[in-house]
Formats: sequence, C-alpha cells, structure tokens
Amino acid sequence: MKFFIPLLLAVLLTSCTTIPKPETFFQLTPSSSKYKALQSRVIETSKDKELLSASAAVLQDLGFQIEESVIDAGMLRAVKERSAREYSQEMGRFFIFLVGLFAQTSIIIPVDLHQQVAATLIIYPEENSTSRFNVRIMFYRKLWKGEGSSGNQSIPPGTQTMEMINEPEIYRQFFAKLSKSVFLEIHQI
Amino acid sequence: MTGRLLILSFFFVLQACSTGSTKPPDNLLSLTEAQMKIRSFQTRTFDVSDQQKALHAVVSALMDLGFIVERINAPMGLVTAAKFAGTGNSGFVEATIMIRPKGDNQMEVRVNALFNTKPIEDPKVYQNFFATLQKSLFSS
Repeated sequence: MKFFIPLLLAVLLTSCTTIPKPETFFQLTPSSSKYKALQSRVIETSKDKELLSASAAVLQDLGFQIEESVIDAGMLRAVKERSAREYSQEMGRFFIFLVGLFAQTSIIIPVDLHQQVAATLIIYPEENSTSRFNVRIMFYRKLWKGEGSSGNQSIPPGTQTMEMINEPEIYRQFFAKLSKSVFLEIHQI
Repeated sequence: MTGRLLILSFFFVLQACSTGSTKPPDNLLSLTEAQMKIRSFQTRTFDVSDQQKALHAVVSALMDLGFIVERINAPMGLVTAAKFAGTGNSGFVEATIMIRPKGDNQMEVRVNALFNTKPIEDPKVYQNFFATLQKSLFSS
C-alpha cells in the first residue's frame, strides 16, 4: 500500500507526457484558421511606423516590457512576469497530500509558481493595398513549477511548460485598445 | 609516499594520452553525401520575386503552425522560431528559416528544424512545412 500511490502517481504522470510525432510539427490543424482569425485584424492606416509604435504603447499599457523590435519586418516581442499560484492547484496539492497520509507516505505534487506572459506581434500591408495593414498578435505563457516530493523521492523545481492563450476576450480587448491607440498616435493627440 | 607518487605518475600518463594522440578527421568540414541530401529536402524554390512578401508568408505560416517567432532579420531574410510540442509539452521544436533571392523572379527558402536539440532528418517533416508555406504564399 505504501508504494501503491507513488507508483500510481508515476504511471499517471508518465501517461500525460507522450512524445509527439515529428511529422505533425509542421502540419496545420483544423483549429489553425480559427486561431488565425482570432489573432488578426485589419487596421486602416498607411503609416506602418505609427502603427507599430501604437502597438508598443498598448503592450506597455498592459504591463508588458518590449524585448525585441524589428521595424523593417514589422515585429514586436514583449513579455511580462507574473506569479502563477492558483487556489485550485493549491487545493489539489493539499488533497493529494491527504490521500498520501492515508497511505502513510508523503506526496507533495509540484504546482505552478511563476509565469511569463509573452506576445509576438507582426504587422504587414494587405495585398494590393497601401492604406490597410494586417496586425497579428499571439499571446502565450511559459510556466515554471515549484518543487515537490513523492515519499523519499524529491521532485526538483523548475519544470517548464508552455501554453498558447486562446481566450477570444483577451484578443478582443487588445484590438479594441489598439484601434484607439492608432487613432491617437496618427492624429498626434 | 609511494601512493602519492603513483597517483602523480598516473596523471602524467593520462595527460600524455590526451595530447597529440587524437587528430580531427580530415573530412570534418567537408560535405558528405548525406548532408547534401538533407540540404536538398530542406530547400525549396518558390516563384516569388519580393523577398519581403516571402518573409511575411514564412512568418504567417509559422504562426499558423503555433510557433513563436523569436527573431527576424529582414535584410538577411532570416527567421528563428520555436514551439513546445506534444500533449505534455515534452518536446521543444526549433526552426531557422533562411530566404534568399534566386535569380530575378524566385526565392529560395531553406529550413532547419531541431527537435529536443537534435536535427530532424525526416523529409516528410520538411514537405509538410513547404506545403503550409505554399498555402500561406499563394492563398492570401
């Protein structure tokens, strides 16, 4: 019984991490076009520099630090660091710990500690148009887990995972702020 | 005393072994047939005259595929991107794409992809990328 739960946990954990097939890395999925629509907007302007600087201003307003900007490719990359502690994960950790106590062992599962929210933004002119630009932004986050233990075996901290942020509301908010910011930037208000 | 002497002499012997005895192979920097083959399926030519258009298509294709574009050098036509792959994010895929003009009306695109820091040598992987790029180039 003492070894049963850590064993079960180990089996569960390994079943989560399947090694992907390399052929799928460069294959579009059915949801690719949906995400593309979510991430892109057309902005009516002919001034690429102003559009890029307005985008940087919005990202700064949202608490991001601009890490990289390439004007001739119309690209920005920005990040912000935040805590990733969540109540539900802490509760899950506590529950598993209690289950472990019944089995006379100590199981502390690692929980998310820190996150880096990042955004990559690209602007490019629309085909056959000089007054319309496509803006595409991608939000994602990297998460770092803390330490844990299973019986006498300690689990080191620092496991890293990454996930795309695909909530439509976040993209809607960003583009709403961007259209305001573009207006202000172009009219120098 | 004899023990120390023994250890010291052992070190000298080891050092003697490590210097001068190994020589880099003569073909270290020469192209092998396998490398030529890999290069050929990593490279494809497209009928596009505008390098900027090709660059945007590459970036767009990478974003469609869920890659994070990390670096762009527009004058050189270089794009670096990466993504985590797999259900448990157990893998890390990195890609470097180089776009350069070939003649007046064509662009040559070369892709190098790594999976968990090991080069991907499966032609199918690169075919899939070029199929996605083709869509991105000619469907917009």
